Amino acid sequence: MLIFAKRNLLLYFRDKSAVFFSLLAVFILIALYVFFLGDLIADGVPDFPAKHWLLLSWIIAGVITVTSVTTTLGAFSVMVNDQATNAYKDFCVTPIKQSVLLGGYIISSLSIGFLMCIMTLLVANVMLFATGEPLLSFTQLIQSVGVLFLAVLTAGSMISLLVIFFKTSNAFAAASTLIGTLIGFLTGIYIPIGTLPAYLQSMIQFFPISHIAALLRQILMDAPMTEAFAQAPVEMKESFQLNMGVVFKVNGWQISPLVSVMYLLLTTIIFFILSASVMKYARR
Amino acid sequence: MQTIIEVENVSKSFGQVNAVDDMSFYVTKGSLFSFLGTNGAGKSTVISIILTALQPDSGSVTVNGFTVGKEDEVIRKEIGVVFQESVLDPLLSVQENLEIRAQLYGMAKQDRLAAIQRCADIVDIHSILKRRYGKLSGGQKRRVDIARALLHQPKILLLDEPTTGLDPQSRQQIWKMIGHLQKEHGMTVFLTTHYIEEAANSDFVIVIKEGRIIAKGTPVDLKQQYSADRLFMTTTDHIALRTHFQHDHVQYQEETGGYTIDLPTTIAAIPILTKYQSFISSFEVRKSSLDDVFIRIHDRKGV
Repeated sequence: MLIFAKRNLLLYFRDKSAVFFSLLAVFILIALYVFFLGDLIADGVPDFPAKHWLLLSWIIAGVITVTSVTTTLGAFSVMVNDQATNAYKDFCVTPIKQSVLLGGYIISSLSIGFLMCIMTLLVANVMLFATGEPLLSFTQLIQSVGVLFLAVLTAGSMISLLVIFFKTSNAFAAASTLIGTLIGFLTGIYIPIGTLPAYLQSMIQFFPISHIAALLRQILMDAPMTEAFAQAPVEMKESFQLNMGVVFKVNGWQISPLVSVMYLLLTTIIFFILSASVMKYARR
Repeated sequence: MQTIIEVENVSKSFGQVNAVDDMSFYVTKGSLFSFLGTNGAGKSTVISIILTALQPDSGSVTVNGFTVGKEDEVIRKEIGVVFQESVLDPLLSVQENLEIRAQLYGMAKQDRLAAIQRCADIVDIHSILKRRYGKLSGGQKRRVDIARALLHQPKILLLDEPTTGLDPQSRQQIWKMIGHLQKEHGMTVFLTTHYIEEAANSDFVIVIKEGRIIAKGTPVDLKQQYSADRLFMTTTDHIALRTHFQHDHVQYQEETGGYTIDLPTTIAAIPILTKYQSFISSFEVRKSSLDDVFIRIHDRKGV
């Protein structure tokens, strides 16, 4: 399985333009915030200490969340391409089992997604440094990496169900673009969740990847939030957290990080089981 | 003579289409076997079944004594395949491609390197090992494809239209290699083609149409059985010759600049030539090529 995963990795990184384009979505998002969305959001909230630091951290959390989905999705293109170009035929004449091949595709895609997320995290650090804000602490980095691992796992499980239905590279590329665009809305990272109508808020909270964004925000915004709301009443901080999607409240219950993690793990398991059964059914 | 592939009463249909219809044949060990048919005749389906990629609806297939559907993994080790289209990774080098495929057969590092050297020798690709597969010419790609098929030292080499789309020189080179593999390495070669000329060197040919065998035999047999000679002549006096033909009830076809008459034997041309000698300005007796034979077989047994 690892041998085959290695081949997929080699193939993915050999196509330099594909790697660039899978990161392009991230760069576009960053540019969007820097030139446009960032100001819009900043204008919407009153001035307070550490405002820039806080909002930048919020943005970074969102960007990394989107990255975890788009890059993992991009990495699955190796699998779709193989199916579309008959390369898969050649693997089927070797003694390797199909389940092993599938495992190889998933492992390589998850590794690629994870690697790209780590890179984005480093880019985020550069952004913080460039704008004169404090860098992420070691603990923050370790926690973020942990969340990213979970993010790639969850995203990968959902995507593996999706890719079964794509038979041509073009269809997959079109779907990737669509998903890349939609994911930002589905996870509530373009606009603060508090400004959306209630039914959209519920939708976002239900979508598992949103919990990745929430977890990352909790980690990355912890320090700036403490500074920003040092002088302010507790209610103000709470409403800010809800408004920006740092924490979710469902039916008056505040979702704890542990619940978010459990929810993500559950999603991962359900989707992997689903994809495995669909794959089995499709082969018959 | 030992048989290495045995196909017995195999049928396979896709929905309403009978791709293979109750087909039986066998391939002798060490022979060069050609499977001939136009596009859509069912060649690929039969190949896929032998390769264990498809299961037959009914009938049985054994490869070197192992049954398709039961001992697929062993069969896959016995067969090396060259697909019609390129299936290796264009972005990776030839060496990388071969190494990855060798790994999929579970070979250890030392064995892999030895296998690549051995196969590179056979198809003469040492000079292009470091180049990207996608950048190679059609003929070079084909040679690499053959090397890939030979990596795990299979007993049977299966080639699906190996020379389609190649220039004449590469085509000849590939045929030389295939012949060499059969004679020097004792491999059984099973190939499909829609050019009967390419089947001329085979030990045995099977012609299929719409999933059924419509002719089989050695290329010489087929030629003798289905070939026909034709007499072609030109004339300066068209009207007179035509009148004579019609008067004598001779079956003739008009062709550019002359007339052709189908002959039962080559000798049969002599009386005709003698009879119409005064009208004929030139003539030739045309032996039918294998291509003609193929078209004849195909039309005669038409459903």
